[in-house]
Amino acid sequence: MITPELFDHLVELAALELSPPEAEYLRQQLNQQLKALQELVAIPVQASIPPALHGVSYTAEIRPPIREDEWIPSPYAEAILNQAPEVDERYIVVPDIPHQDLE
Amino acid sequence: MTIEYEAVIGLETHIQLNTLTKIFCSCKADSWNDPPNTNICPVCTGLPGVLPVLNKAAVEKAMLLAAAMNAEIQPISYFDRKNYFYPDLPKGYQISQYNLPIARGGYLVFPMPDGTERKVTIHKMHLEEDAGKTKNDFGRRLIDFNRCGVPLVEMVTGPDLHSADEAAQYILRLRQLLRWIGVSEADMEKGHLRCDANVSIRPKGTSILNPKTEIKNVNSIVAIRESIQTEVQRQIREVQAGHPIESWTLEWDEESGILRKMRSKETEADYRYFREPDLLSLEIDEQWKNEVLSTLPELPLQRRARFVAQYGLPVYDADILTTERSLSEYYEAALSAYQGDPKRVSNWIINDLLRILNDLAISAVELKITPTYLAQIIRMVDDGTINNTTAKALLDKVQSSGKEPAAIVSEEGLAKVSDAEALERLIAQLITDNPEQVANYRKGKTGLLGWFVGQVMKQTQGKADAQLARSILEKYLAE
Amino acid sequence: MDLCDYAAYQLVWMIKRKQVSACEVLESTLRRINAVDGMPGQIEGDRNAEPDKIHAFISLTAERARRQAQQIDQAIQAGEEVGPLAGVPFTVKDIFCVADTLSTAGSKILSNFVAPYTATPVARVEQAGGILLGKVNLDEFTFGSSNESSAFQPSPRNPWNTSRVPGGSSGGSAAAVAAGEGCLSIGTDTAGSIRQPAAFCGVVGVKPTYGRVSRYGLIAFGSSLDCPGPLARNVSDAALLLQIMSGVDPHDSTTANLPVPDYVTDLEKPIKGMRIGLSPDYFRITYVDAESGELDQQPIPDDYRQAIYRVAGRLAEMGADIVEEIPMPHTKYSIPAYFVISRVEAASNLHRYDGVKYGYRTQQAVNDLREMYRKTRGEGFGLQPKLRILMGMYVSAAQYSEQYYLRALRVRTLIRRDFEVIFDPNGKYRLHALLTPTTPTTAFPIAQVYGDSVLMQFADQLTVAANHAGLPALSFPCGFDSEGLPFGAQLIGPDFSEDQLLRLARNYELVTESDQWRKRLPPILRNV
Repeated sequence: MITPELFDHLVELAALELSPPEAEYLRQQLNQQLKALQELVAIPVQASIPPALHGVSYTAEIRPPIREDEWIPSPYAEAILNQAPEVDERYIVVPDIPHQDLE
Repeated sequence: MTIEYEAVIGLETHIQLNTLTKIFCSCKADSWNDPPNTNICPVCTGLPGVLPVLNKAAVEKAMLLAAAMNAEIQPISYFDRKNYFYPDLPKGYQISQYNLPIARGGYLVFPMPDGTERKVTIHKMHLEEDAGKTKNDFGRRLIDFNRCGVPLVEMVTGPDLHSADEAAQYILRLRQLLRWIGVSEADMEKGHLRCDANVSIRPKGTSILNPKTEIKNVNSIVAIRESIQTEVQRQIREVQAGHPIESWTLEWDEESGILRKMRSKETEADYRYFREPDLLSLEIDEQWKNEVLSTLPELPLQRRARFVAQYGLPVYDADILTTERSLSEYYEAALSAYQGDPKRVSNWIINDLLRILNDLAISAVELKITPTYLAQIIRMVDDGTINNTTAKALLDKVQSSGKEPAAIVSEEGLAKVSDAEALERLIAQLITDNPEQVANYRKGKTGLLGWFVGQVMKQTQGKADAQLARSILEKYLAE
Repeated sequence: MDLCDYAAYQLVWMIKRKQVSACEVLESTLRRINAVDGMPGQIEGDRNAEPDKIHAFISLTAERARRQAQQIDQAIQAGEEVGPLAGVPFTVKDIFCVADTLSTAGSKILSNFVAPYTATPVARVEQAGGILLGKVNLDEFTFGSSNESSAFQPSPRNPWNTSRVPGGSSGGSAAAVAAGEGCLSIGTDTAGSIRQPAAFCGVVGVKPTYGRVSRYGLIAFGSSLDCPGPLARNVSDAALLLQIMSGVDPHDSTTANLPVPDYVTDLEKPIKGMRIGLSPDYFRITYVDAESGELDQQPIPDDYRQAIYRVAGRLAEMGADIVEEIPMPHTKYSIPAYFVISRVEAASNLHRYDGVKYGYRTQQAVNDLREMYRKTRGEGFGLQPKLRILMGMYVSAAQYSEQYYLRALRVRTLIRRDFEVIFDPNGKYRLHALLTPTTPTTAFPIAQVYGDSVLMQFADQLTVAANHAGLPALSFPCGFDSEGLPFGAQLIGPDFSEDQLLRLARNYELVTESDQWRKRLPPILRNV
């Protein structure tokens, strides 16, 4: 059960500002999904079953070769900067991060 | 009664590997002289849809470092995502290694200036990507992604250091090692080697671990020493005033010498580490490992010890000669060409060659005075062909011309004037030309002998065999 | 029948022989789009606008397409070699970055993002001469099975009945292909997002083996599950498109370093002796009761079951061996495991949308960076991404990770093992493919399921196991229900067996070529 307190912690971690109706809907849906997860928690899974990062097993034969250390200059630097909401002299600009001096 | 406190310090170092390209994309890693946001591509700026592709050289350099730190290279390791928001982290997660990193264990034993040794254990060592840089600008932050994706090895020590000096010494030795094995430029000023210090205090003699603070951004040997000292004193003051130490994250402002409190840290749980699905496991088989480790040289502190044991050098000499790998190799090459007293070669290097290296700001491999040339010069002094003064001047001539020392000596006639007849002629003339000094000498001002020797040296441009000149002069002046 | 209704392989043949020009094919397709598509989806658009249109597109890039078509025609006129897809108009699900196009993921948070680079599978199709028509709509960040969650409204409707959803998340792709708005589309499949809309819209959709097609440029959802794949009106076209998209990519280290077989040439080779399995576990659906949270099992509708058994019968006519009662005991755990794995990966993948580098940034005044993050993400994401982010945060938190995430990865192993057993060439079953319904139902009405995130997720119940296991799977049309909505049959095969699945599906097309149901057209095309 996701309590309002836990929910608020998740929302803070997720950096989301939610309206009250949104928050209510989301918390209710999360708890519905948690019910669906009870089945997962109930499955007998032995610890000897290895977790699978991918379904396909990447044998040595099908792994692509590791990348050699070769420089390929990217043509996209300007286009990337063009997408930024605020840029000043090639720097991307964001609001400040608060901090406090100690004596 | 006042309680005496000791510091408990662990260092978290971030080491930029000196690969040509970044760890997960083909952008140039080194952006030192480049304007902001130039060495960037969709991958290292976290554009939607991009995927990381691991750089072989980064893995190999991490392997070398692991071996040099006595850590165990793992046949299979994994990359994980460490999730948090920060504007210098374009994907909102850092690709790092969590519970199954490339190496396990490790330690470094290093000497303190007083000759005692310290052993620091390595808690964690893993590969990861660097973040970008941010800087304050009047109430806003400016972000440069050039550094994003530069390969890093993060290495965390156990809480094994107990003073600011020990911490500084560890970093010095680590820096030496990194350059020695060629995995990092380790220039702290350029951020190649960065350090965060975890600092707590405890009453001396106890073994408890108290809440610690983390000082970020201590990026010079001086900063390490000063910030840790400042923080240890602050903690002592707080504890003595009855205040608890809180697990703050602090930032060291090197210019003003003050500590700043940063945002409250996310706890480990909040990073929500999980396996990076965009990368396969990193598998290092024996063959690859052996291939890479076969290039690992003898390490600096081993070589330092060997120089003492094998050549009978004082620790002081061995320490200087092993500051840099190229210098130590130069020493051994010169010694083997010289085939004589190891200490004599060491003296020449420490007294004369280092001056040249410093003046020219070059390393030993770049010297035009090859080890063979140095050996030749020392030999010429030994067999009396040239005197010390000539030899020192000769070093500079070889360095500027690149010519063989013996050739310069013969071309420029630098060999000592030890022909007694020639010297006698010169001295006879000197006696004739300086009747006053001769008279004074004969009246008992025997100190003038030095002046006469000086005149002889002057007229022979320093090439005269001073010993011989002195005895001839004594003979003439006595008459 | 207009030019835009021809199969891709026919168009290439005609264009290369100068019987038609790429420009003519393109103009025919643009006329069709103009006739049936209606207004494109837009931010804050009216969900109910033009309910009799398809609304497949977010951005139509007609001028770019015209330039590409002209180049193809010029090359052909000049006698130059052109690619295997020369002049074929195709659409791309707007989850792929394509250089100089809006690449929105159906989300407000990327509504102004113009990608600087092109995704590998799209670049390969363009390289092969394909003509990009534009970007088609989807569920926001692909999170859904109906397309209703797109921030760009109106969202796509089903060409067979515009009061029904086209399925999702590649709903725009499936609807466009079905309506002749481009013969081919590139979609993505994380839990069924190619196959389910393909089934709902009566087209062919292939989810390739994980690692067969590069994900570079695919805006990530569940990175260990996502697969780009083709949607087309027939198996041959799907094979043609898959051929081009597949293969190792230096930008994606999870692509398999395996040669790509020829998918096209052997399509019509006989299937005699191939072993096709039917599993009772794929003819029932497990629901979680919304009130009690109890599990409830229901058989899939009888007409759907019969449709799949008819497919088995026709394949048997062609010489395939049908093996019944194949046990797939872990299939029913696919959804709960998916709830965990996909949310963990999605929450992390969505971290990067923070208003710093690209896309939407809040217009409100903020005091500090954190507030900018919160407002940007609060305003920029719709409910479905928010839900997945929060769920992902919860199940991957250190204290729950063992209970949920690691367990889900272990369950994935169990799901995979079910398949390894039935496909083992030396095992008891020795199957070449499993034949199942693609979906539990035919296309459901708009607004019926939307809003109930659990029920919506169960639409993927029959498709998601293949994503967990990484296996290739294909959906192809196999008739209609009494309301005129298409049934989809799914084939799931062993790793990298796309060639076999395509061959089976093509043989089914051949044997049903003259069936009455094959002659049906989506009602929306009757008056064009």
